[in-house]
Amino acid sequence: MLKRDRWLTWIFVTPAVLLVAVMMYYPMIGTVIESFYSTSFINPTPKFVGLAVYQKIFGSADFLQIVWNSCVWTLAVVALQNVFGFFCALLLNQKLPGQGLMRSLILLPWVLPGVVAAILWRFMYDPQLGLINSFLISAGFGDQGLAWLADSSTAMAAVVIAAVWKGFPFCTIVYLAALQNVEEEQMEAARIDGAGAVRRLWHIVLPSMKEVIAINFILTTILTFNYFDMIWVLTRGGPQNSTHIFPTKIYELGFGQFRFGEAAGYGVVSIVILALLITLYFLAQGSGRKAAS
Amino acid sequence: MSVAPSKTSRFGLMLLQFGLCIVILLPFFWMVSVSLKPAAEPFAIPARLWPDNPTLENYVTAFRPEFRTYFFNSVVVSLSTVVITVTLALFAAYSFTRTQMRAISVLMVLVIVAQMFPASAIIIPIYKMMKSANLLNTYTSLILAYVTVTLPVAIWMLRGFLTRLPVALEEAAAIDGAGPFKIFFLIILPLCKPGIVATSVFVLIVTWQEFLFALSFTSTKDMRTLPVGMNDFIGQYGIRYGELMASSVLISVPVIAIFFLLQRQFVAGLTAGAVKG
Repeated sequence: MLKRDRWLTWIFVTPAVLLVAVMMYYPMIGTVIESFYSTSFINPTPKFVGLAVYQKIFGSADFLQIVWNSCVWTLAVVALQNVFGFFCALLLNQKLPGQGLMRSLILLPWVLPGVVAAILWRFMYDPQLGLINSFLISAGFGDQGLAWLADSSTAMAAVVIAAVWKGFPFCTIVYLAALQNVEEEQMEAARIDGAGAVRRLWHIVLPSMKEVIAINFILTTILTFNYFDMIWVLTRGGPQNSTHIFPTKIYELGFGQFRFGEAAGYGVVSIVILALLITLYFLAQGSGRKAAS
Repeated sequence: MSVAPSKTSRFGLMLLQFGLCIVILLPFFWMVSVSLKPAAEPFAIPARLWPDNPTLENYVTAFRPEFRTYFFNSVVVSLSTVVITVTLALFAAYSFTRTQMRAISVLMVLVIVAQMFPASAIIIPIYKMMKSANLLNTYTSLILAYVTVTLPVAIWMLRGFLTRLPVALEEAAAIDGAGPFKIFFLIILPLCKPGIVATSVFVLIVTWQEFLFALSFTSTKDMRTLPVGMNDFIGQYGIRYGELMASSVLISVPVIAIFFLLQRQFVAGLTAGAVKG
């Protein structure tokens, strides 16, 4: 498209820009406005209440629990997905037989629809019929199955493991592609100088992948923080709120109880917290860079 | 930087590779195994990894009329979304990469940033918009929502491909008298095919499994898509895991098949954006 086709440039971008403006930016503002109104199942007409919704949210006992759960869930899933994903990428980057097949198979959990993955893990965790308990019992750990998802002390760990299984292949594929861009000559030179695998990893591979790792951390943080399917199908936020995170709480308030104002309030708070998490990453990255130089 | 490891470490690595294989495949294997287990065969401890008398009876029961409706709905919604998203994204990404106008570049950043918006935080106003437009419980509401949430990523992926196409080609065609549409359809479109394939597969995988919008916007059984339908099955048929696993296999096969057919182009497209910035 050349300079003289200005009108055409505008025509080409208009549909996409309009859709994103009307269906994403406008609702974003709408959520903030909505949070100043109160609605409920009994009182469906919105009533302006100012900041009362926020007062109610910050005053409720659930609120801190949900903030805590969201942070634990996000940080645990992101850390495990990236670390495990990175090591799998290192493994798949070695010259071994069957690597081609492995590189195809590894994306399977990620391609599997989220609800199906959740149902599958619900089944794996089933106290009577699940594979996990069956293994534990036959290996001699007790004679009765544990109800992993129904016990508030194990439920969060259980949903985190399921989410890591579903999501780590994405990290592996991204890191594998980045590993293949690491300069061969630099590695060869280090090897000749007698640098072992760990030192090569630390001094050559990791620095050259810094940007990819940073982008991937932010990407997986956003995706995990907003991930609704896995927890909703596995626990619905239970037991005793122990796995409730922002998306599940918002859905429950909005579409379960028609308390749109409160749901919107939680939505606004969730955006603020997500923004804070991302800022933290940038700060950590910045100070890391300063320390390195 | 592929390295040929020594013999002992090679053995260790192959063990790790085998372990990884099990971590990935065991849940899948279990899903298929249980889907083939006759309803009468009890679950044993230790779990029997493969049923004694595998049967397809679970698939026959799983393929009930409701399931076929959900499947049809999912196909309609996903395919429409793929076609509309990729078309709009291609036009937009082309303009975004070929313009020198500031306003357009600013718009591009705004569109791409939107992919970070949490769906759960904007769903209530969208729900209300759909309600006042009388679109709730229709294909249109789902397709509109899916096209919007997939557009920013699709534009981002296609932008990666388009920036790598040399502009000189288009300039030469323009000197030869080709109009902008001719250039777009006869030069850009064919060259962009790998990018279009990768983006389409990505959008398909995302929409085929979308749960939150489908759960909120559809209220009757005849409009449910597969993920929501599956979620309903849990309540209805609680303990009938055989059937549930059979439906799981039926839902997963289409995306997995498409993924395997097109995976080389897909993986290249997926990683191009993240790795090359």
